[in-house]
Amino acid sequence: MDDSAKRLLQRFMRRIPTQMLKTTLEKWSRLTVAQQKSLDFTQSKWALTEALLDICEENKWTTKHISELEMIYVIDNPNQGMWHAFQLMDPEDDAHSVELTQFKEQFKSHLSELIRHVSVKIKKHTDEAVWIRIAWGDSYSRPNHLKPTYVVHYLQTPYVFVTSLTSKQKPLLSQALVLSTRHHAIKDANLSGKKFTAIRDLLMRQYQQAFPTKYPSPLKEKNQTVSNPLIEREQAGPAANRLQMACEAFGDGMLPQLQSAVYKLETKFRDQTNKTMTEREESFRCVVKFASTNLLESLRDCASSGIASTPVTPLLSSIPLKGRNYFVITDNSPGPSSQMHQKTDG
Amino acid sequence: MSLLKPFSKLPGLNTANILLVESEEQFQQSLADALVEETAVTVNVRLAKSLPLPMENEESRPRIDLVVFIINLTSELSFQSAEASLKYLDPGYFLGKVCFMVTNARKASAPTERLDAVRKLAASLHCPLLFAEDQTPDGVANATERLLTILKVSAGLVPMATALYLSNLTRCTVPPDIDQPSFD
Amino acid sequence: MAAKQNLSEPSDSDSSSLTDQSVSGRSGNRSLRVAEKERRKNEAEDPFVLALKYFSDVGAGTPVYGNDEFETNLVLVERVAYSKGLSPEAISVMLEFAMSLRMGTGPCVRVLKCLIPATIVPQEPIVRAVVWLGVGKIPISTQVLFIKWVLTVFDMIDAKDQLRAIYGFIFSFVTEENLVLRVFRVRKLLELQSKLGRQPFLLHLLSLYKVFCPELVTLSIPSRMKSGFRNYNTPWKSALIAVQKRNGSQLASSTSLPFTIKDKTSSRKRKHCHLELPVLSSLVNKQPQTELSSSRKVVPLVQLNSFAQLLENIHRIELPAQMGSLLGSSLALQYLDCVQDESALLRLNFWLGYALHEEFLFYGDGGAYQNSEEALQFLDKLLFTQHFLQEAFSSSEAFLYKFLSVWDGSLLRPQILGLLSNIPVVPSSQIGRLLFEPLMQLFFTSSLFFKCGLMECLNNMLLKWLTWHSVYALEDDLDISLNSHTSINMTLSGFKDSVMELVHFVGRLASVGLQLEGCHTLLLSFVLDFYETVCDTFLKYGLPLVVMPPPGVFYPALFSLDPVSVDRLAYIMYRYKVNLTSAKSQEKVTEQAFHISRQTFREFNHYLVVMVNCLWNSNMFRPGMGVQLGEEVLLKSNVPQYWTSFDLVHHPAFMSYAVDFHQRCWPGRKDMDLNSIKHSKPWSWYLEYLYSQGYDGDFMDTHLTSPDGPSLLFAFTAHEEQWGI
Repeated sequence: MDDSAKRLLQRFMRRIPTQMLKTTLEKWSRLTVAQQKSLDFTQSKWALTEALLDICEENKWTTKHISELEMIYVIDNPNQGMWHAFQLMDPEDDAHSVELTQFKEQFKSHLSELIRHVSVKIKKHTDEAVWIRIAWGDSYSRPNHLKPTYVVHYLQTPYVFVTSLTSKQKPLLSQALVLSTRHHAIKDANLSGKKFTAIRDLLMRQYQQAFPTKYPSPLKEKNQTVSNPLIEREQAGPAANRLQMACEAFGDGMLPQLQSAVYKLETKFRDQTNKTMTEREESFRCVVKFASTNLLESLRDCASSGIASTPVTPLLSSIPLKGRNYFVITDNSPGPSSQMHQKTDG
Repeated sequence: MSLLKPFSKLPGLNTANILLVESEEQFQQSLADALVEETAVTVNVRLAKSLPLPMENEESRPRIDLVVFIINLTSELSFQSAEASLKYLDPGYFLGKVCFMVTNARKASAPTERLDAVRKLAASLHCPLLFAEDQTPDGVANATERLLTILKVSAGLVPMATALYLSNLTRCTVPPDIDQPSFD
Repeated sequence: MAAKQNLSEPSDSDSSSLTDQSVSGRSGNRSLRVAEKERRKNEAEDPFVLALKYFSDVGAGTPVYGNDEFETNLVLVERVAYSKGLSPEAISVMLEFAMSLRMGTGPCVRVLKCLIPATIVPQEPIVRAVVWLGVGKIPISTQVLFIKWVLTVFDMIDAKDQLRAIYGFIFSFVTEENLVLRVFRVRKLLELQSKLGRQPFLLHLLSLYKVFCPELVTLSIPSRMKSGFRNYNTPWKSALIAVQKRNGSQLASSTSLPFTIKDKTSSRKRKHCHLELPVLSSLVNKQPQTELSSSRKVVPLVQLNSFAQLLENIHRIELPAQMGSLLGSSLALQYLDCVQDESALLRLNFWLGYALHEEFLFYGDGGAYQNSEEALQFLDKLLFTQHFLQEAFSSSEAFLYKFLSVWDGSLLRPQILGLLSNIPVVPSSQIGRLLFEPLMQLFFTSSLFFKCGLMECLNNMLLKWLTWHSVYALEDDLDISLNSHTSINMTLSGFKDSVMELVHFVGRLASVGLQLEGCHTLLLSFVLDFYETVCDTFLKYGLPLVVMPPPGVFYPALFSLDPVSVDRLAYIMYRYKVNLTSAKSQEKVTEQAFHISRQTFREFNHYLVVMVNCLWNSNMFRPGMGVQLGEEVLLKSNVPQYWTSFDLVHHPAFMSYAVDFHQRCWPGRKDMDLNSIKHSKPWSWYLEYLYSQGYDGDFMDTHLTSPDGPSLLFAFTAHEEQWGI
């Protein structure tokens, strides 16, 4: 068992909570029943690591096996690290017919053409997602398994989710992905977050949405389940209206747990009382960040309770509408009548 | 600007009407549900987020005997909203037909300054200031009971007692170590 | 776990990398490794002892990197520590090894983390370790770690006499700018200050520092627990719990510690919750030999089981580290009561005040409602303690004033009213703002049930004040020390003022309350309870003060539909008479400087005239009475002989008795004439009959003994003239 495998295991052990260790090892299904039984999970992690190292040595397992273990853990616990979403563009005619084995082969071969030392592991998860673990090396060094990149792609969709990718590796990955999925380009979807499931659900619209309608909506009925003739809401109309608009903007029911949204303002400073700032030529830069344990739900609540004005400003409703949480706001044209305009950041 | 007036309508027989104003619209619902359980008198509850009340309900709205402003002490917005609503009440209401109900006063996240501000506000308007525990069923029941006690008096259902009389006994006073607000 | 890793990140990675190297140096020699393990297993001698021997003998400057022997030994110690805990000797060896930095700082951190005591922690090595701190090569983060460890195991240290001696040093470390503790404490204090504002908390803390400096460490543990600091201790804590659990059975039998381990663990688990009373545990668990040699023997409170033992050892008792534990033990309270130890009370007061404020006034988001059961138990225990000591803690008093101003009137009502009735006499200048204003608002906006509860509470409060007075007034005629421990002295006139304020306040509540509640009989009964206390202040409690009830109480009682209320009113009036007469005669005899105002006599006479006229003389609504109505109004009412309508026969409360009596007296009569009862013979039978129905108290014996009741009244007024009023 070589040094890097050992480090990988130690690192893995440090990351994984003890209570999850047992199930993950079971899923790995490489340990014999006896080996499994020999592990005392009440021991300190340090001791456990030692025991596992012994087992690995006995079985002559290598980095390959350990990285498999790591991958199992990451797939089961995807909500850690920073995930970024990408979108594939301009599909070729046969893009929708790409299937797993073909994709696997293509991706591996494309990537290894681009870079010599790379280790790729591809695994299909139950929900149609293809999980790719890439350990990068460069022309002189062997793949570094301690800092792998994880890529998740849903076949036949344009969506790709990536975590821990450096700017140096980005073009390589992009090219391999574009080629193997039969597309022409890939772009940043300006959506990122710690919860993989949240950004996936948001981008792929996997949550309950509400649509504007002219007719009295079912929402109204829902609100008046307990109507006592002695109780009357003076402002029931506006309240129902606000809720309807909030749901139209952000969706109904459970929402993806997006944790932040960032707005980068590059606009002119406008305040008649402050001439020095207003007369400056260059735009005024600032960053506004909204953070919450569940941002979309918070925003919906703000709108329905009247804290935020309705109809919901496009600045906020763009988050679910466009499936992104990073915006750059610039002035369209100088002058007081200019409109706020959102521009995609390249 | 439409003022809510205390005596613009005739009272109903054995009926008391209460208006609960709360910007967060949380506690008022549970209070309303408990208030209408009262059997001795018919209690009508009107819920509002803020004042003024919409004109279109003017006709159907009964005479309001008691206006309760519910303030969540952990929220500045809640306080500001109540403060802003006050000016849509006819001065006649302040002769015993308004009270303030504060929630979350024992929370660490409620700043003392805000409590002092609420106290000052209630004291300057000669209104009672009640504290309520909105998180527990017992707390809600008790708050309801206290509101009913005041409501019955202000609706004229208790012999020998008037709203002004009761509010004179229960109105909030500002402790001397809080600066006295200037009356102007 | 995260915090632990965080805390020692550099050293942790150090140690892991060193193992990598050491192992990789011999990579491939797996078989050798396994073989070595097996060899060691077969070794006759206990490997743990060998490991300890290694750590006590290893020379300074021995390299850590690649040192296989060190690694295996340390792993062994860690394994034992996490599974069984370390024996006192092991702890002293390991602590000495770590703090001497014989092998650098890396192992030091690792060793500190695994120092989980199995039973107790000896004092010696801690003192030595502090000395090592003084040598000063240990990095700050490690120093913090060490001090935190000491705090965590503080209760398990076997003796603290030497440790106390070096508290100064420990404190100098604790207060060192760079240490987290200091920063934290300052922040906490500032926070407290900003929140409590006018509370003399800072003062409290300072005085504590002065009086009982050493214990400050333990006292501030709960406060640290609250915000984040707790996290640092949890790895130790959880390990400690685990070890104690595993050792539980054998430990309990092998040591003579009087506390059960089980209790201890459960209390430890929830330390962040202030409501959990700390278990009374001792600081002192001396080994027998040291006990013999030590000249000043200290006995921890826990080891005492009876009052006799307490008396025997009273001069050498050591208080527990956590004062809150005193609340649960009556023996401890007895001790506290008789030693009158200012510092002990101060500590208890501080702990209590802090716990009460944190849990009931400034609770964090969420939480607060899950522990309402615990809150109840906590307050009940506090009430028990206060009843036991027969006095309130000043901190609970301060808490109550704050709590009342934000109380909804229902939360923990029985407990709060219980505590309220225990508060010591409040100076009359403060009483209005602190008590009356919040109570009045609560009283008038709350239900009948609350009104009755508050009446009862105020009656109890008055009773306690009067009892204190009667006890302490014996010692000193004028100046009474109201609370033996707080040395607040109050002059007699000051005390009288407070009592008077209270009685007037209740009078006001009662009159208006009865009016609002339609003279509800239940409320009236509680009001009369109060006046039964008030009317006897002079004779029962020796307080020369007589306050008459207001008309708002007198008339509802007199005209009550309930005969019991009328009877009790009569009894109260009788006791007033006895008190006034006795006060008057005593005034004449001793010529003491107290004086009952003429106004009081006038009020009393007036009430008596009304009562006698109304009940006995059938002279209701006659001029000069309290209740007057215009002649024409009365005629309009068409009530025949309206002046008789409230006499003992026609009073609504007694009417049913009169009718019953009439039927028994003249069974044959068809038309009922209640007036015929008033003839002298049936009248005396009627009175007999009322006696037999239970209205037999002093009500009848005194001013109502004859049909011509006024005689007594005149006798009394004659007295008055005699006294020159």
